[in-house]
Amino acid sequence: MGLIKKIFFFFKRELNLFYSNIADLFSNILFFFLSIFIFVFALGADEQFLKNIGVGIIWSLLLLSSTLSLRKFYEDDFNNGVIKIIHMSGISYELIVFLKIMSHFFFVQIPFLISIPIACIFFNLPINEVYNLILTFIIGSLILSCLGSISASMNLLNKTNFSIGSLIVLLFFIPVIIFSIGINNSEASFNSLINLLLGIALIFLGISPWSSASFIKLAIRNK
Amino acid sequence: MFKFLVNPNKFNKFADITLKPLVIITLLTLIAGLILVYFSPLDYQQGLTVKIMYIHVPSAWLALLTYAIMTIYSIIGLAFKIPFSFIINKAIAPIGAVFTILCLFSGSMWGKPMWGTWWVWDARLTSVAILFILYLLIIFLNHTFENREVREKTIAIFILIGSINLPIIKFSVDWWNTLHQPASISKLSSPSIDISMLQPLLVMTVAFSLVGLIIAILRIKAEILMRKNYL
Repeated sequence: MGLIKKIFFFFKRELNLFYSNIADLFSNILFFFLSIFIFVFALGADEQFLKNIGVGIIWSLLLLSSTLSLRKFYEDDFNNGVIKIIHMSGISYELIVFLKIMSHFFFVQIPFLISIPIACIFFNLPINEVYNLILTFIIGSLILSCLGSISASMNLLNKTNFSIGSLIVLLFFIPVIIFSIGINNSEASFNSLINLLLGIALIFLGISPWSSASFIKLAIRNK
Repeated sequence: MFKFLVNPNKFNKFADITLKPLVIITLLTLIAGLILVYFSPLDYQQGLTVKIMYIHVPSAWLALLTYAIMTIYSIIGLAFKIPFSFIINKAIAPIGAVFTILCLFSGSMWGKPMWGTWWVWDARLTSVAILFILYLLIIFLNHTFENREVREKTIAIFILIGSINLPIIKFSVDWWNTLHQPASISKLSSPSIDISMLQPLLVMTVAFSLVGLIIAILRIKAEILMRKNYL
């Protein structure tokens, strides 16, 4: 069986898993909207004020609601041994991690995009900020998938302290948030900030297969 | 000659020989530094608060230096599979955390009379605060995993990824327009600080690093003994 065919079957399996777990995704999106409502109730419904802080609130809530699903990144596959079986069929752990990041990006983060325009309506954001938000979220969610892969593979053998994985994701996501919000502030620095974000995404795409694969190997050896 | 940096037994021997002289030298340097700080001139703008600098700057340097040492030892430990480097990583992380909180606290004490606030969201201050969170996460990770190999390698990889923060801290005053002043002492140009203030600063830096070294030696020795009982 060729490598392309194996990768095709991998994605087919991920798609099936995605359809069976679709309630999980919708509850994450619901968490996002509920927390927006809570923010608005806590800050008061002043329109101009909400317009000023809207992008920041949407970005931080997107980050928080995405970290909810990160714990399940490798846990199921690791516990029922699917990772080992895929590895035995001739795909290296690094490639498994890369495919897993891609499938998480396509099946979990991209569906989140439909909720962003609706959230922007609640804050009366101007249309160019909505475009910027969607563009930065597409790049930022790829980085988020990479970080989630690192933290989830790190937590495979962690039986006691689960929140440390989310802490690590939040910590390393700080520069991405800074650059993504900075795009709205000045028109002139748009290209340079987009290039910086793409650079961070490429760095993490390089780092995360290596580090996640070493964590998974460690976890399988010490299970 | 430098085998004691990677070999626990040689390190124990080295520590037994050097600990007592080191304590005496440290006491002398610390007393000399404090006397020099006491007689150092006041700043014409800042007045007495300039003396906070003699604690703030050495602790900031040592916070960075500790993380750099941990990064180097993580690379050594992962690449050459030397377990002693993981002992060092575990032993000196709290020392770095203490130096970082000392730096943040003294800076905050200086900032209230000079800038008018305890805290500003400035690039240098924020990146040092992130360094403190990194240290705390390393200490938490030390208590998280049951399996020793997983714990050590996880911490080493985490330290490597977190070392991105070091150049950000170093160059934050050059890259962004910050309230924090740029470096006054650099290797390539002559220092923009007067010699009467530079002398106590350097003596205090030596004293602080010797104090850190003594605590590190004691902690590493304790860690080696603990592992010998366990293994």
